[in-house]
Amino acid sequence: MSNVLIGLRDWVDARLPIMKAWNTHMAKYYAPKNFNFWYFFGVLSLLVLVNQLLTGIWLTMSYTPSQEDAFASVEYIMRDVDYGWILRYMHSTGASAFFVVVYLHMFRAMLYGSYKKPRELIWIFGMLIFVVLMAEAFVGYVLPWGQMSYWGAQVIISLFGAIPYVGEDIVTWIRGDYLLSGITLNRFFALHVVALPIVLLALVVLHLLALHEVGSNNPDGVDIKKHKDKDGVPLDGVAFHPYYTVHDLQAIGVFLFIFCGIMFFMPEMGGFFLEYPNFEQANNLKTPEHIAPTWYFTPFYSVLRAVPDKLWGFIAFAASVAIPFMLPWLDRSPVRSWRYRGNITKVMLVAFVSSFLILGVLGAWAPTEGRTILARICSIIYFSFFLLMPIWSSIDKTKPLPERITMDGGIGFWGSMGALLLILALTVLPLQAVAASSYECGTIECDEFVADPHDKASLQSGIKTYMNYCMGCHSLQYQRYGRVAEDLGIPEDLFHVNLMFDPDVKMGALMENAMNKDEAKKWFGAAPPDLTLVSRARQPQWLYTYLRTFYQDDSRPYGVNNKVFKDVGMPHVLLELQGMQECAPGPVAADNGGVKRDPLTGEDILDDPCGQLVIPVAGKMTPEEFDKTVYDLVNFLAYSAEPMVVDRHRIGMFTLLFIALFTVFAWLLNREYWKDVH
Amino acid sequence: MTSDAVNSGRRKFLTAATSAVGAAGVVGILTPFVGSWNPSAKAKAAGAPVKADVSLLEPGQMLVIEWRGQPVYVVNRTASQLEALAGLNGQLRDPESENTAQQPDYVTGIERSTNPNILVVVGLCTHLGCAPKFVPEVGVPDMGGAAWVGGFFCPCHGSKFDLSGRVYAGVPAPSNLLVPPYSYEGDNVLVVGVNPENV
Repeated sequence: MSNVLIGLRDWVDARLPIMKAWNTHMAKYYAPKNFNFWYFFGVLSLLVLVNQLLTGIWLTMSYTPSQEDAFASVEYIMRDVDYGWILRYMHSTGASAFFVVVYLHMFRAMLYGSYKKPRELIWIFGMLIFVVLMAEAFVGYVLPWGQMSYWGAQVIISLFGAIPYVGEDIVTWIRGDYLLSGITLNRFFALHVVALPIVLLALVVLHLLALHEVGSNNPDGVDIKKHKDKDGVPLDGVAFHPYYTVHDLQAIGVFLFIFCGIMFFMPEMGGFFLEYPNFEQANNLKTPEHIAPTWYFTPFYSVLRAVPDKLWGFIAFAASVAIPFMLPWLDRSPVRSWRYRGNITKVMLVAFVSSFLILGVLGAWAPTEGRTILARICSIIYFSFFLLMPIWSSIDKTKPLPERITMDGGIGFWGSMGALLLILALTVLPLQAVAASSYECGTIECDEFVADPHDKASLQSGIKTYMNYCMGCHSLQYQRYGRVAEDLGIPEDLFHVNLMFDPDVKMGALMENAMNKDEAKKWFGAAPPDLTLVSRARQPQWLYTYLRTFYQDDSRPYGVNNKVFKDVGMPHVLLELQGMQECAPGPVAADNGGVKRDPLTGEDILDDPCGQLVIPVAGKMTPEEFDKTVYDLVNFLAYSAEPMVVDRHRIGMFTLLFIALFTVFAWLLNREYWKDVH
Repeated sequence: MTSDAVNSGRRKFLTAATSAVGAAGVVGILTPFVGSWNPSAKAKAAGAPVKADVSLLEPGQMLVIEWRGQPVYVVNRTASQLEALAGLNGQLRDPESENTAQQPDYVTGIERSTNPNILVVVGLCTHLGCAPKFVPEVGVPDMGGAAWVGGFFCPCHGSKFDLSGRVYAGVPAPSNLLVPPYSYEGDNVLVVGVNPENV
C-alpha cells in the first residue's frame, strides 16, 4: 500500500514539484526556535479562514439573497435545516474570532518589529488582508438583513457622501438605488461570497510566499541566518514540520476549546458577536435606538465620531485604517524587538494599545459629551503613536543585541500578566469616568428573568397563554407547529385539537396567522410584529417586565400605557387576568439607577405620581399567579426564539470534552518533540 | 538542535494517538456539513403525507394526487379489469412483482394493492421519468388492438404498463411502476406516505 502511495507521489513529483514545495514551506523551512505565545495567531487565522470558507459555502446552500427572503432564510437555516444552526454559529463566531486573532497577530508584529526591513512587503500584504477582511465582514453583516445590518450599512455607505462634489453620486452608485435595498443586498452577496474571498485568498498566498522568502522574525528580532551549520541550516532554527506543526496543534486545541465554548454557550457574546436588534427584520422607516457597529470596527468608528465635521471625520476614519501601512517607514529604530529598545517604546506601546481599546469600547457606546472628549484624546494618542514615531523611535535608547537568539528573553509569564493588567487598568479607569447608567426597561429597571428551556410544564403553559391571548394578532412565522409539539412534549393529536385554530393546517406548517397586515396597521397604528424572535431582539427580562407593567392612562386610545414601552400601540390583552393597574405615588427613580432619597432625612422620596402600580379591582388571578403565567409565556417566547438551545448546550458539552482530550494528546506530542530542543 | 536520544517509539505512539483523536474530530466536524444536506423541515413539511377520499371515485376512474411533488395515480378498478390481470402474466416482465424495490412488502399479489380495487402507484415511468397516460379502454388499435385490456402508456418512449402498474416485456421501462407507502384512515380515506399501523 505505502509503496503504491510513494510511487504515486514520485510520479506526480516528476511532473509537479510537490516535494520541493513541501520542503520549501514545511520540512526545510527553518523557523527560529524561540517563538512564544504571540506566534500562534498566524496559524490560527488560517484555521479561522478555512472555517469561514467552508461554513460560508454551506450557508449559501440555504440562504436566499433577496430583500423579501433574506431574513427568513437565515431563520430557515437556524431552525429547519439539519445542523444549520451549528453552521451559522460557526460562521458568526468565526467572523469575530477572525478579528481577534488578526488583531493579536498584528500586535505581535508591532512588539517585535516584524514589519521592519526586510519584511516590509509581508506587512503590506498583511495590512491589505486586514482591509479586505474589514470589507468582507462589512458586506457579510448586511446579508442577514436585520435592523443592524440595514442601519449599519446605511451609516457606513453614507460616509462616502462626505466626499466633496461626487459624494452623493457615489453613495447612490454603491447602493444601486435611492435607498439601501434588495439591489444593494444582491451585490453585497456577490462580493461577500465570490469576489472578496478570492482577493483574500490571493493576498494570504502572497503574505506567506513573502514570509517564506525572507524567513520568520522572532521575539529577539535578530537574524538567525547569520549562524548556520555546515549543511546551511540555521543553528537557531528548527524545521517548521514537525516542530512547529506539533507546536501549533496544541494552540489549535486551546483555541478551539474557547471558540466552541463561545459558539455553544454564548453565541451572541452579550450582543457583541450577534447584536440583539439584528434579530428584527430590516425596516427602512425605523432606526434602532442605538446603532453600534460590530465590535471589530468600533475603534475606527470612534475616530469618526470624535471629529465634529463630516468630511474631516471621514478623512480621519480612513486615515486611522490606512496609517499602519506606513509603519515600516515610520519606525527609525535600529533594532526590531521592543526587548532591546528603551522606555519610550514601552510607554508608547502601552499608551497605543490602551487608547485603541478605549476607542473600541467608546465606539460601542452611545456618545455623550464626556465620551466624545475621551474619544478625541485617544484619537490623538492613536495618531501620535504613528506620526511621531520617526522621532520617538530614533531618540529612544537601545540595548545591545545578542549575537544569537535567547530562550529566556522578554518579561516572562508574570511580567506579561503585569503588562496586561497595566493596559487593562489604563483602559478601564478612563472609561469608568465617562460611564453612564440607563434603564434597560424604558423608565424602570428590568425585573429579573431566567429562562428554563428544560421546564416543559412551564413551556406548555406558556404556549397555551400564547395561543389564547397573542396568536390572534402576532404570528410565530419562523416556527413550525410540529416542531413545537415535539419539543414541548405535547402529543400531535392533542396539539392539533387544542392549540390550533384551523383544523386544515398541517403540523409541518409555519405558525402564520391570518391577520391582514394593512388592516392591522389601521387598527393599532402599527402592524403587530411577528414574535418568533422577539425574545432575542428585546431580551426576555424586557418582555417579562413589559407584560406586567400596563397601567390605566385614559389619554391613550386603548386606555392603557406601559412603564417599559411608553405609548405602546398594544392594548392590555391580559387585562382580565391581571386586573387594571393604576398609578399610585411611589419612589422617584434617581439618575444612578437607585431610588432618590431626601438629602436631609435619608428617607426615600415617594413623590413620583406613578412610582408604583396598584390593582384596585383584582383580575381573575392573584398577582403571584399572574406573574407565573407571564413567566411561562415569556419562557415559551424565549424557547421560540432559539428552539435548539437545549441541543446547543448538550452538543457543546460533548464537543468541549472532546477538544480537551485532543489538546492533552497534542500537548504530549509537542512535549515529546521539543524536549531535546534547547 | 540535539536529537541523539530521540525516543522514536513514543513519538510514533503519540503521533498515532493524536492523529486518531484528530481523525475522530474531523468526522465530528463533518457531521453538520453532511447532515445539512438532508431534507429540511420545510422539505419534510412539503413532503408530508397527503389524504384523499376514495369513496368519491367511481369505478374505472382515476384520480391524480400530488405527494412529494410527484403525481400519484389512484385508480378504482372495476371487477372486469381485475379479472383481466391474471391473463396478462405471460406478456409481462415481472408479473409476480419479484423486484421488491418497486412496492412496500405489505403490497402483494398481481393486484399490487392492499384494497384490491384501489390501485395506488407513483405516476412516473421507470424508464426515464415521464408521466404515463391512463388508457383504460379495451382494444385500443394503437395499443395492440384486441390484446389491450387497459393500462398505462408512456408517450415519451412507448413503455406500457397494465392496470396494476406492471411493465410489459419488450418496452424500454425496466420495472413495474412504483407503489408508494400508503394506508387507510377508516375505510375510505387514503393516506399516501404513511405505512399501515400493523406492519
